[in-house]
Amino acid sequence: MYPAPFRYHRAATVEEAIARLVEIGEGARALAGGQTLLVWLKMRFDEPTDLVDIGRLPGLRDIEQEAGRVRIGALATHARIARAPLARQIPIVGDCASGIADNQVRSRGTIGGSLAAGDPSCDWPVLLTTLDAEVHCRGPSGTRTLPADGFVQDLYATRLEHGELVTGVSFALPGKGSAGAYVGFKRCAPAFPTSSVGVQLTLNGDDCTEARIALGSAGLTTIRAKAAEAELRGRTLGAGVIAKAAAAAAAAAEPVADQRGSPAFKRSLIDALVKRGVEVARRRARGETVEVSHEYY
Amino acid sequence: MSWTGTSVRRKEDDRLVRGRGLFTDDELEPGMLHLHILRSPYAHARIVRIDTSAAEALPGVACVLTGREVAAQCDPVMQLGPPPCDKIRDLPMAVDKVIFQGEPVAAVAADSVALAEDAAALIDVEYEMLDAVVDAEDALSDRSILHEAAGTNRTWQGVYEYGDVEGAFRDAAFVVRIPRMQFHRFASTPLENNACIAEWKRQGGVDFLCNNSFPGFAQQLLAPGLRLKADQVHIRTYDVGGSFGNQIWNYVYMAVAALVSKKTGGRRVKWAETRSEHLLASGHGNERTYLDTEVALDREGVITAVRSRHIDDCGAYTRYEPLGCVIWSQVLAATYKVRNLRIDFTQTVTNKCPVVPNRGYSRMQQLWFMERIVDICAHELGLPADEMRLKNYITQFPYETPNGCVYDSGDYPAMLTRAKELIGWDRWQKECAAGRKAGRLIGIGIGTTLDSGTNNFGQARIMNPYLPFSGNSEVCTMRLDLEGAVIVCLGTTPSGQGHETAASQVAADVLGIDPSMVHVRPGFDTAWNTFVGHSGTYASQFAVTGLSAVHGAAQKLKAEMRRLAAYMLEAAEEDLEFGTGAQGPEVRVKGTDKAINYWYMANLVNNNNALLDASLADVTLNVRHVYRPPFKVPDTERKFGNLTLTYAAQLHIAVVEVSRETCRPQILAYAAVDDCGTLINPQIAHGQVHGATSHGIGAAIMESLDYDESGNLLTGTFSDYCPITALNLPDIAWGNIETPSPFTYSGAKGMGEGGGAPLHTMSAALQDALHGAGVIVTGSHHPAPRLFEILQKPNRAEAVSVERRGGKQARR
Repeated sequence: MYPAPFRYHRAATVEEAIARLVEIGEGARALAGGQTLLVWLKMRFDEPTDLVDIGRLPGLRDIEQEAGRVRIGALATHARIARAPLARQIPIVGDCASGIADNQVRSRGTIGGSLAAGDPSCDWPVLLTTLDAEVHCRGPSGTRTLPADGFVQDLYATRLEHGELVTGVSFALPGKGSAGAYVGFKRCAPAFPTSSVGVQLTLNGDDCTEARIALGSAGLTTIRAKAAEAELRGRTLGAGVIAKAAAAAAAAAEPVADQRGSPAFKRSLIDALVKRGVEVARRRARGETVEVSHEYY
Repeated sequence: MSWTGTSVRRKEDDRLVRGRGLFTDDELEPGMLHLHILRSPYAHARIVRIDTSAAEALPGVACVLTGREVAAQCDPVMQLGPPPCDKIRDLPMAVDKVIFQGEPVAAVAADSVALAEDAAALIDVEYEMLDAVVDAEDALSDRSILHEAAGTNRTWQGVYEYGDVEGAFRDAAFVVRIPRMQFHRFASTPLENNACIAEWKRQGGVDFLCNNSFPGFAQQLLAPGLRLKADQVHIRTYDVGGSFGNQIWNYVYMAVAALVSKKTGGRRVKWAETRSEHLLASGHGNERTYLDTEVALDREGVITAVRSRHIDDCGAYTRYEPLGCVIWSQVLAATYKVRNLRIDFTQTVTNKCPVVPNRGYSRMQQLWFMERIVDICAHELGLPADEMRLKNYITQFPYETPNGCVYDSGDYPAMLTRAKELIGWDRWQKECAAGRKAGRLIGIGIGTTLDSGTNNFGQARIMNPYLPFSGNSEVCTMRLDLEGAVIVCLGTTPSGQGHETAASQVAADVLGIDPSMVHVRPGFDTAWNTFVGHSGTYASQFAVTGLSAVHGAAQKLKAEMRRLAAYMLEAAEEDLEFGTGAQGPEVRVKGTDKAINYWYMANLVNNNNALLDASLADVTLNVRHVYRPPFKVPDTERKFGNLTLTYAAQLHIAVVEVSRETCRPQILAYAAVDDCGTLINPQIAHGQVHGATSHGIGAAIMESLDYDESGNLLTGTFSDYCPITALNLPDIAWGNIETPSPFTYSGAKGMGEGGGAPLHTMSAALQDALHGAGVIVTGSHHPAPRLFEILQKPNRAEAVSVERRGGKQARR
């Protein structure tokens, strides 16, 4: 429960942080909110030689809207996002932010850290995939922008290169008729979800013109349920159509057996959560206010 | 007025909520060493080699202790069980082989705990893997034996048989058979982990500050183990953050810390367990398997006989076991009047964390078993759940059970009525019926349970006739200090139960003063405070043993004060009254203003005694009272005798719906009615009910200590174990009835454990919800994934059978 010894550095600027990480090399890790990294260190799953604290870098925690896009700084905490006007304006963002772990974790953990951790149970990669977001990165060779979809490549592995930091994420403001929901199921507040589902639909009445569905805790990375999207796109939403989409999403999942349940249970849960997510998105598209988030016992 | 029965504000809370409590890990001083324990990653393996040189070479490391050194300096802990338990060699550290994941293999003392952990990572241990047995029935095959000297994994076996079981089955109208049921492994997760500080004294002996909850017992185990006289083992406690029985066993680590201190020449050594260590290797609750259960019933649904085979899984060591093999029989037939029972009870060790007493210890497993029987029979015979209970409840008190226990008082039908009112039984019955018609998996269930308190240690002899234990006791000393304050010292080790408050109330009632004038000294101390061999806080007994000791001491003190006052006031003792006057608490002559206050009485005895007559030479205003409950040694041949003094009861009703979407078992309504006899402090009792209910709901739907087949703990973090928090709890409607115990001075009964009521209640509610889907609830743990599996493969066909004997005359 105590990390192996490490050196601690606090960077004053993004440039300095990157320079430090590059200079130290393999043994260095960037520390933001620490809600994933510190747990790993305490369990001694990882024993870095150096931590470069990026938690106080200026200008990386703002939530802004400009030219039809939302931009969230990498160091914005889950709690900050949950409290922001954005969470009410785009309810799917609020669903996700307010349902992550418990209050303590939400107050420290950051959106950038959640992405960079590459944990298949983290919620932000799923939500950002659902919203077709972009991840803004800055590293030794400059800045680049990557799609959120596919940003996490494998278990605990992302497209970030060594010394490269997530500086923010951005996504288009959902247009007219576009609404979504993020629903998860877990055993208790601090537990990772057993399954989670993000759904974003563009509707004209009950006619679905666009759909994006992403699944969390359903495989080694976030899984985009393209077959499920195809079941909805261009169709009129009804029980049969939704059931087909839910079944397609469950089929796309690659869950593993663990203490949270068997693959069959998780598939059944994904099926249920897709139906719930579609239903909430549909009601929200009609202008209803619907409170939804992670459900637990 | 009487302070008993009043919700006096808890005295200890001012200290605790302001962060001014003293918990063991709070104690810190320069030069103190910190201990880290290296633990086995394997469940069963031989230790081939340990190389500690790299760890010892690390700057800041004081010493490394291995099992071989422990074995050289320490004798195995006394085993309570009969042969083959005497062959079990229980040392505080593994020597030649490890038998559960997390067993200590080496200990490192260093200048900081982080450094100690760094050093432990440098210890090189070579293991040779052995087959692990994690399933009780598998373990009983002895294909892989944990304690080779014992020659078997079976630690105890005995048959408990009462009445005419064969006759009852011969005459039965219905025989219900339930081939297999299973009670799962969980623990109570106290807020404070185990901790101790040890200091080996240069003059011999060892000092401990710790959070052991049964130090009277720990001293008796530690002294011979450490090759010391009992008096040389000085154990002290102060604030303790919850125990639930789990902290009875931590003497194991006290021994390790003591030996490390000895090796370092007497430096103070602190060990503070981490939460991960606590989950992995502190103490778990007993698992139990119930096989070949048969229930005989008459035509009306009255249960006439039960026979079954129980296998208890106690983990790797028998620490407090095999006491659990007899403790369950305190509640043999639960709240039901069945007189014919035969239980064949076996216990085995397995390659898992040892079990220790855990809130509801060994009785909740039996209560759950009896509740499942009653509930399954009701569902299978089509009898309404409430009627089934009413037909079978014990209704006459005091009631002698078939095995000689005496239920002091109770009124289970009245509790049922109260609980039904609280929850809105009729409305929910309608809603459940309508809901099930509409396809909802919704049900309502009743759990009736007992919290047997103040145990007769003589029951240990049923398990092993040669044990030198019987009865029970607790002690209180009380005095007037120099300034006339009433000082109360107790042998108990409170861990949140409000002993300071309740003891003040009792003393205040006897003396006719305000509880704020009574000062209770918390903390246990074998060197400087009062204690008896049974002293501690466990097994639902403070309200009886602790407060009876306080009550007795207060009466002795009062008698001395009365003699003293009579002399000084030149009045007859019967003309005196106790109360509070202008100068504080006093004794006065009735109807006059002649009085002597507490300060002056204390002054006379302590500083001014030339004023006293020689006839008062024995008045010291410093008295000691030991309370001994009226027990006899049980008949070990017949397994018969009164095993506990009081029987508090709990009756819970839950309405539960299993989501068709997620299989989440959602509690829609919950009512808890308690009867612990006369309430001392209703608010504290209410708090205990909430706590016990939370623990039980957590155990029923969230918490389980699961192992894989190699003996790896799969739920070793809070993310996986998911202990219950306020966020997971429904609103609990609380009700209370009082049937005073005729066996205690106040009518109060011990009630801290709560009988595991929610486990029975949740199982019953789920049974009601799922019976229509072909499910028989045969397990005690119901998380969503398990409910999903059982709904996929309904088990009714193999889980239960009912034999109906139409022709024969059934007896009532």
